[in-house]
Amino acid sequence: MSTTVEAQRAWFEQAIDQAQGDLPGQDLEWLQQTRAHARRAIGTLPVPNRKSEEWRYTAIEGLLKNSFQTPAGEADAARVLEAGGWLEPDYPAYRVMIVNGRCIADASQTAGLPEGATVGSLRTALATDPELLGTWFGQAAAHTDHLFTALNTALINDGIFLHLEPGVVLDRPVEVVYLSLGQEQAPLTQPRNLVVLENGASATLVERFIGPGDALYFHNGVTELALRDGAVLKHYRVQDESRNAYHLSSLYLTQDRNSLYQGTTLAFGGAWARTDYQAVFKEEGARCELGGLYTVGDRQLTDFHLDVRHNVPDCSSREQFKGILYGKGRGVFDGRILVEKQAQHSDAHLSNDNLLLTENGEIDTKPQLEIYADDVKCSHGTTVGQIDPQQMFYLRSRGIDADAARRMLCLGFAGEVIDAIEVPELREYASQRLVATLNQSIQAAE
Amino acid sequence: MLSIKNLHVSIEDKAILKGLNLEIAAGEVHAVMGPNGSGKSTLSHVLAGREGYEITDGEVLFNGEDLLSLEPEQRARLGIFLGMQYPVELPGVNNMTFMRESLNAVRRGRGEAELDAVAFMKRVREKAKLVELDDRLLKRSVNAGFSGGEKKRNEILQMAMLEPQLAILDETDSGLDIDALRVISGGVNALRSPDRSIILITHYQRLLDYIQPDFVHVLVDGRIVRSGDKQLALELEKKGYGWIEEEAAA
Repeated sequence: MSTTVEAQRAWFEQAIDQAQGDLPGQDLEWLQQTRAHARRAIGTLPVPNRKSEEWRYTAIEGLLKNSFQTPAGEADAARVLEAGGWLEPDYPAYRVMIVNGRCIADASQTAGLPEGATVGSLRTALATDPELLGTWFGQAAAHTDHLFTALNTALINDGIFLHLEPGVVLDRPVEVVYLSLGQEQAPLTQPRNLVVLENGASATLVERFIGPGDALYFHNGVTELALRDGAVLKHYRVQDESRNAYHLSSLYLTQDRNSLYQGTTLAFGGAWARTDYQAVFKEEGARCELGGLYTVGDRQLTDFHLDVRHNVPDCSSREQFKGILYGKGRGVFDGRILVEKQAQHSDAHLSNDNLLLTENGEIDTKPQLEIYADDVKCSHGTTVGQIDPQQMFYLRSRGIDADAARRMLCLGFAGEVIDAIEVPELREYASQRLVATLNQSIQAAE
Repeated sequence: MLSIKNLHVSIEDKAILKGLNLEIAAGEVHAVMGPNGSGKSTLSHVLAGREGYEITDGEVLFNGEDLLSLEPEQRARLGIFLGMQYPVELPGVNNMTFMRESLNAVRRGRGEAELDAVAFMKRVREKAKLVELDDRLLKRSVNAGFSGGEKKRNEILQMAMLEPQLAILDETDSGLDIDALRVISGGVNALRSPDRSIILITHYQRLLDYIQPDFVHVLVDGRIVRSGDKQLALELEKKGYGWIEEEAAA
């Protein structure tokens, strides 16, 4: 048993020790220390296994069978642009292109940003603005609590840095595209992002995760988000990784007084994809809305873990996740809401609804409310169901064929989550992407 | 137009319709009345193609075509419309989008061009007036949170949009107050035409004050036991179903 664990741990150590390319900010003591702590933590942190609640339904053995390597240097921007199509849907936005974990300046477009706004490469910011970074780095993420976050931290290299000074309001969304390109040695791509909205600042952030066809890679991204007093962040994430990809996103969010975070994640792709959200209320009056939609088919596992912590009074949170499972798709949902003793007047509602289109789909869903305060409004609900034959008959009796009827009902089921996206082009894209997936599932069933 | 011959239908081996015969010509309005459990709703569901019913004998011809071998959507495209007793709610499915998909599917089936968004909007607004359906309900999810009366108006609106040859209205009057009944009947009457036949399935004579049928049939224990004109409905109203059931049993 222990030999297995040691072998698994060695996988993490090798991934770090064999990384190629120079890490930036060698002269920054805080950064070097952070990396070193994380590297040491790899030796002691528990390796995720199915005996722990957090990983009960999500095995990492398949991931560890592969050997991934951090690529050296930047990808060739010309090659990326030539490949094209990556920037659909097109809409007015500040764009940052990240390829295999590295920002590609030539494929990014951030001209015209208002004063007080920084949107760009973390690597660049380490050179130009190290003090600001040093202030915020690691405030939200505990670098040494989770093995995968430690893996990312030990090799901090690049990612996005989004910083808005007090009162700055962005006129257009910031869109970050993470493109992972397969190569001879399957890449380990580990973007490290830092998003800080100072008092009263406001932005929309779109993130899209993509990879071509059947490319094999492991995306292990870590994002720290800090919203200060009254800041508003709308955050839309579309996970559309290649069908062989492993994807782990760990998001660490902290919210100050009266701030608002609205996050919607759409998970369509990947062979093994997990999103971990940790949201912590640090001051009163803040609100956090987490939404998600996942479609999971053959040879896919999609996992969402939420950990929302009401540490202070008078905050509210909403978690609404919906899943559509078909073929032999496997979904995992674990939504934990913690309301501490002092967090009176907390208002939290969590729901997870699942639609099984086939008999072989599987969803393991677990809402957890841990409430230690006595004056709160909290609830949760979980459903797993099939398409209602009465609804099907209603649509068909109106001339709509069975496939189209099924599509309409699935879109209707998912609609609430998609409608929360306030960028029209992205919303439209999400609907079309869902329709394409549903068509695939219908074909597969035939 | 519709010819039902010796129709036998079972649900899970329990016989519901036991040799039903009915002939309906173009432009006629037929009321089918009967006590609870006599098979009225089964008849409407079987005509529309709902699953779960076993046809053990008989046939149904619609304009000469074997109706029972067709899928529900094929029947709708041929011009059959079922106004449901309990219209289901479709959360997240926009009423307008649904009606447009439905209308265009039926139009494609009839070999007609699809309506574009503008033409569709114009048509749906015009027809919504017919049943006094609030425009706002068009923008909501189909039937979701609608009152009983609103659901029935929405059904008749769909009938008006789809212009069926044969409309089967299954207890359209149930759960309606007198004002709603008047509006909905007005809508149905406006849709009467020499090419359109209607089957009104109802419990009560009251509906027939508003929509005057050409024929009235009494369904008892899976068979039509008596047919007549609207006088028969008045007689039933006065005397109940008891006497006719006794007669049928004798």
